[in-house]
Amino acid sequence: MSLLRVRGLTKEFGDLTAVDDVDFDVEDGEFVSILGPSGSGKSTVLRMVAGFEDPTRGEISLDDVEIVGSPPFERDVNMVFQDLALFPHLSVAENIGYGLKQSGVPADERRERTARMLEMVRLDGYGDRVPGELSGGEQQRVALARALVNEPALVLFDEPLSSLDRKLRQHMQGELQRIQAETDTTFLYVTHDQEVALAVSDRLVVLDDGAIQQVGSVEELYERPASRFVADFIGDVNVVEGRVTAVADEAIGLDVGDGDVSVPRGATVGDLSVDDAVDVCVRPFQVRVESRDGESAAGATGAFSTTGVVRSRSYQGSDSEYGIETDRWGRLSAEVRSAAFDVDDRVTVAWDAADVHVYGRDGTPSPDGDGGP
Amino acid sequence: MTGSPHADDGGVAASDSGDVAASDSGETDAATDRRAAADGGTASGSEGRMSDLTAYLRERPLFRTLSIAGPPYGVLVLFFAIPLLAMLVISFQTGRIGGAWTLSNYVEFLTSETYLTVVWRTFLISVEVTAIVVGVGYALAYSIVRFSRRTTLLLLLVILPFWTSYIIRMYAWINILQSGGVLDSILTLVGLPALELLYTDTAVLIGFTYVWLPLAVLPFYASLTNLDGDLIEASKDLGAGPIRTFLSVTLPMTINGVVTGIVLVFIPTFGSFITPRLLGGTNNIMIGMVIENQFKSAFNWPFGAAIGMVISVVVVLLLVFATRLGGGLFGTGGDAS
Repeated sequence: MSLLRVRGLTKEFGDLTAVDDVDFDVEDGEFVSILGPSGSGKSTVLRMVAGFEDPTRGEISLDDVEIVGSPPFERDVNMVFQDLALFPHLSVAENIGYGLKQSGVPADERRERTARMLEMVRLDGYGDRVPGELSGGEQQRVALARALVNEPALVLFDEPLSSLDRKLRQHMQGELQRIQAETDTTFLYVTHDQEVALAVSDRLVVLDDGAIQQVGSVEELYERPASRFVADFIGDVNVVEGRVTAVADEAIGLDVGDGDVSVPRGATVGDLSVDDAVDVCVRPFQVRVESRDGESAAGATGAFSTTGVVRSRSYQGSDSEYGIETDRWGRLSAEVRSAAFDVDDRVTVAWDAADVHVYGRDGTPSPDGDGGP
Repeated sequence: MTGSPHADDGGVAASDSGDVAASDSGETDAATDRRAAADGGTASGSEGRMSDLTAYLRERPLFRTLSIAGPPYGVLVLFFAIPLLAMLVISFQTGRIGGAWTLSNYVEFLTSETYLTVVWRTFLISVEVTAIVVGVGYALAYSIVRFSRRTTLLLLLVILPFWTSYIIRMYAWINILQSGGVLDSILTLVGLPALELLYTDTAVLIGFTYVWLPLAVLPFYASLTNLDGDLIEASKDLGAGPIRTFLSVTLPMTINGVVTGIVLVFIPTFGSFITPRLLGGTNNIMIGMVIENQFKSAFNWPFGAAIGMVISVVVVLLLVFATRLGGGLFGTGGDAS
């Protein structure tokens, strides 16, 4: 049985449905992230688990016990707040010991456990300071220690790292993983930052518009995104519009403008039938760019291949990213090893049919079907 | 005697403006903004004169400080320090202004059991009033901040009574509380016995509570608005129930506002004579009424002045004590360790 079980969780604020029928589980000892853009309802889910909001409908059980309706101070769950919410009138040690004091732990044991926590977050000797005297990273550690000291079943994080600069954020990500392993605690982490989520989590819950888009491991989400939204949100993606022309057991025929291509059945998500409008997605790193001389490959129908002009390039160390205005599908981006192309060069662009993901479009044509970001 | 906190405020304000003047003009954003606004408002001809003046003042820092800090200090000296000094001088004279020097006014007051009883009584009433006003006012401010979206409207309603004169509001209470008044009529109508509250201690408490409530709600409101709601959630998250959270987070975080409210209510109550006179009748004497009597009826100004001085000292001592308690009450710094 999983540690946290969320079923049919729904939260309505007046006419607005912030969280819509959300189901997911968190296993004991896992590091799970809820990832979604601003306003996707991810913080509301977290606040319902913590007990600060009551769900309109749905169940939340912790260790097989239903916790909806019980107040936050009775839940075996502690939270690291977005702006940390350290008590400014208490010292660092008092902040960390606050939870122990509330549960009636005697003073000497409190002191000992607080000291152990300070050591764990590498803040030995900081106990007598007040939070206002600490740097941003140090305050993060205090907030983390305060949430861990009660040894809760589950620790919740409401984007606490978003205020840190990149370097410090990456460092704290590592610290989070180390501390999670050391304390053997379950973490549920909410963020809009896919970089953080991919770096730290065992599994991800992708939320958009209050509804779950996909639940899975980082690899699953990246390699087999369940929808165009997930493909776009987890990493970059190019999108080409098309139409289904044939459906067979092994492959599907697609008209992607100026000729048909055939993609493996496994690349498509959900049932498709002839004449359905689809989005064909491909990651920039799977796009090949060749110089225009390779005349033979260019313009070949029956494959994802076209010609175009390089419009932008950005050097990114090992890779270069090119923005290419293609003749067939508008603007695409490509990430390749070679830095041999310049702006205004004519090039051939191609990728393998096996690398694409095809998603049915729900009637409404997408406004930015001419390419990836 | 009610002047003491204002003196403190004035002093702070004056030194603040002194600081602004001392920091090189135009360096701070605020100064730049103000200058820009002034420039925009004046005709181009006077612009030159303005900069002449600024240059003139810049070369004479002492004169500049004086010209900014001088007026408020002048007002304080003229209308507060000099009268207080005059009171002090008079309190050592016999019977009338210009009488022989004596300590007898103080001796008489401090050895008279009657007067000291009145002081003690006044103290008790002030404590009661302060406790009631702080309790009710804090609850009111708390519910305005935490549970309502119409904050501005509710605050407006709280301070609305200030639009009506104090005396008129007291007479309204006489009307409500007197035997056969509004309150008794309603009680009789629903079959309950009449209370005849007017001219009792209860009437005085009601009157004071009503009058001082807005004065306490405003500082409470200000400090509660500044309280981060996340802190309360953090406390509950860490296992503290509502009462523990209130005592260990909400109250300590708003203690400065609470102390300000206590001072604002306690001091004017201690010196008040109108409310007890109108609502408390003749047997509910407070020390403010005794002082008023010495000046208005007994014409023994020196004795009234002596009582005033003693009460002022007592109140200032209480104020200092309260300031220590609250830590950094009038912006004296956050050294409340």
